Amino acid sequence: MQRRSILLLSLALGLMLGVTVPARGSQTVWSGLVIASNAAQPEETPIELKRLEGTLKELFGYNQFSVIGQSKKALVTGSEDWMAQSKYFSLHVDSKEGNDKTGYRLDLKLYQEKSLLLETEAKLSKESPLIIRGPQVGDGQLLLLLVVQ
Amino acid sequence: MKTFEEKWTAWIDGELTGAELAEFEASLPDKAAAEAEKREAKKLGTFLKEHLECHAMGNEEFFHHQLRERITADADGTRRESAGSGRVWWPIGRLVWVGATALALFSVCTFFVIREKAPTDQSQYLSQILNARVDPAVSPNATISMFESKEGKVTVLWVDGLQSLPSEYASK
Repeated sequence: MQRRSILLLSLALGLMLGVTVPARGSQTVWSGLVIASNAAQPEETPIELKRLEGTLKELFGYNQFSVIGQSKKALVTGSEDWMAQSKYFSLHVDSKEGNDKTGYRLDLKLYQEKSLLLETEAKLSKESPLIIRGPQVGDGQLLLLLVVQ
Repeated sequence: MKTFEEKWTAWIDGELTGAELAEFEASLPDKAAAEAEKREAKKLGTFLKEHLECHAMGNEEFFHHQLRERITADADGTRRESAGSGRVWWPIGRLVWVGATALALFSVCTFFVIREKAPTDQSQYLSQILNARVDPAVSPNATISMFESKEGKVTVLWVDGLQSLPSEYASK
């Protein structure tokens, strides 16, 4: 009787924890610094951008997309930080507490060398990439992309 | 002082005597009718005595035995009830058992309810820009706008007016 009660209590506790604590399967966030430009013979779009190629072309009007810096970060605890950088730009990402089932709360900072160009707070959904239009670079445009993979 | 009805009943029963009897009979308006009524009443009394006699109980001992048994049983029942009233609450083990079962059922139900509750609003699936700012000292003409492309399921933060940079900044 006693043993059965303990077993049942453990089961109930386990179920309650299963209900209250969201599943924290590790997910990867891909962060990229992308130069969008127009070229007579556009290069093959990098594999990370294949899914977004049509949307990027439609939104920004360029036909070539080159990744100049990227980072992949597996989010385990939900409170991590990382950086994607190129020679002159760096994107600092800080995942904040308060993530839920629908997405991650991120603090994003875009630096051009040492100077902070842009600062934003966003909620990155697992279903929906985040695109930031940065400064004009030469004939192209710097884009920042964050995608949950 | 007796009333007429009391005297009448006593007269019928033959309990009036002497002066009281004479006085009562003198007060009767129709003595012959009263005598006839008295006879009828006596006849009825005799009839009732004959036909409504209590029958002697044939199984008196058995009846008494049954009655005693019933009284004993009732007394025992009362004692059990009064003793049982101290055990209204369940023992701890059973309480734990029932509580744990209820918790488990609640958890299972909650789990399935939460799992089945799907977000209804499309925008819940889209990323959101909560706030954004550019350093006005670095980019005084910069403007920020944001929009969601529901077809591509993307959220865009559109920054205009940042300082243009030479193409060498596109280096990896």
